[in-house]
Amino acid sequence: MTAPLLILDSLSVGYGGAPVVDAVSLRVAPGEVLALLGANGAGKSSLMRAVIGLEPAASGRIVLDGADITALPPERRARMGLGYVPEGRRVFPGMSVRDNLEVASFAAKAVRTGLIERVFALFPQLAPKSGDSAWRLSGGQQQMLAIGRALMGEPRLLLLDEPSMGLSPRLTSEVMATVRAIAAGGTAVLLAEQAARRALQAADRGLWLHLGRVADTGDATVLLDRMGDDPDFPGTPLATGPCDGAV
Amino acid sequence: MILAQLMVNGIALGAAYALVALGFVLVLNATGAVNFAQGDLVMAGGFLAVALAGFIPDAPGFVLLPLVMALMALLGIAVSATAYLPLRNRPPVGVFISTIAVGIILQNGATVLFGPEPKAAAPLFGGGAFTIAGLQVPTQSIAVIATAALLIAGQYWLFTHTQLGRRLRATAQDPGMARACGIPVTSMIALTFALGAALAGAAGLLLSNQFFVTPSAGSGLILKAYIAVTIGGWGSLPGAVIGALLIAAFEVVVSYTLSYTAATAALYLALLAILAVRPQGLFGEASRRRA
Repeated sequence: MTAPLLILDSLSVGYGGAPVVDAVSLRVAPGEVLALLGANGAGKSSLMRAVIGLEPAASGRIVLDGADITALPPERRARMGLGYVPEGRRVFPGMSVRDNLEVASFAAKAVRTGLIERVFALFPQLAPKSGDSAWRLSGGQQQMLAIGRALMGEPRLLLLDEPSMGLSPRLTSEVMATVRAIAAGGTAVLLAEQAARRALQAADRGLWLHLGRVADTGDATVLLDRMGDDPDFPGTPLATGPCDGAV
Repeated sequence: MILAQLMVNGIALGAAYALVALGFVLVLNATGAVNFAQGDLVMAGGFLAVALAGFIPDAPGFVLLPLVMALMALLGIAVSATAYLPLRNRPPVGVFISTIAVGIILQNGATVLFGPEPKAAAPLFGGGAFTIAGLQVPTQSIAVIATAALLIAGQYWLFTHTQLGRRLRATAQDPGMARACGIPVTSMIALTFALGAALAGAAGLLLSNQFFVTPSAGSGLILKAYIAVTIGGWGSLPGAVIGALLIAAFEVVVSYTLSYTAATAALYLALLAILAVRPQGLFGEASRRRA
């Protein structure tokens, strides 16, 4: 098996009271898509924010390619190869599409230009809007821009938080296809989604969170089979049995 | 003819005010904090120009300008390190008070070092005036307008055409997301304070030749900057420049027709009227977008 790029070792995140992410362990290998699933409030976004460094870890470790990054600030993590697409996109609204992309790269000008062309090839809709302010884009275009911006840092691991939120089923399918294409290039993807079925269709493996704890894990195809037609799958951790989370 | 003469004076004064307002709005955008020391930084720039002239006798203002701006940039970094960064995760009132404290320290420091008497910095290119179509145009006024225009254009270029400028703008728009993109936000904020202080220093040098500088001059200037930014649209850089030009033109014309006191009173009345009719300011869209 390929050595994992990202290891979360009993990671907990809390805001003073009960932890919102409780001793979660997982591994993601290069080129792999791991779907992080669960209902609203399950702790997916908090876990993503902790991995990029926007939330401090209460306990546990975050290891990227063998280096412990738990105490590093977000800017250092980004430079080490983490790309982050937050829930709600958070593009820089007053900046043009091109500037949104360019600002996230630390490469030389010529390399940046090449990276922008690659993003435009991945999302052709963005190219004609290159000079438009980001706030003028539709929700779907902003989502593409947010993903493109994360790719500008040439990430080894892409953190995608609820990319389907507010998108039509057709656009969601396009985004998921793009996720697969990105992973095919060797980038690891941690994909947090409420739309479990669509996420699992794009993922290699899945991990269900419930109230901050790992409720179930497995290969995406196995989880899809287990889901069947049950929209509430996997139910509560007690229904499926608690899991040690060592994926 | 008189109106044209007044306009030249008004544009020169407005150009210097624009530098004050730009420095103010840069820090406001990057940190969300009102830097109440901005006016006192202008005063400090004026006194710095006076002090440097003592070390480099007969040096014209344009030689002193880069030195003043560089030293003021260092002072801006010191202000960010002491009055903003340690308090940035506290309620905003903490930064309000700390920047007011910085202003008081600068005022008292200037009084101790230079005394309370007004001082004048060297003109940019020497004194005198020339005549264009019967209009007496002071050389200093044209030099002030040209210098301010160059600095404003330079700042526009920095923000729109360089990677550093993009990072400064990203930091101003969403510091959390900027960090997640790899941008060293703390350094960007310190740099923004440096830029704001450098612009204040330039304004101090330009204003202190025509209008003299006293340790208490900053309080009036911060009010002008605040009004310019409010009129122009909270957070808008072009709005700050146009707001400053409008204030100066208003001040010059009303001072000439009535008196300076009347001009000041009328300025505040005009501000109230603008806030009542168009509370977002003349160019308020940028600040609305940021919300």
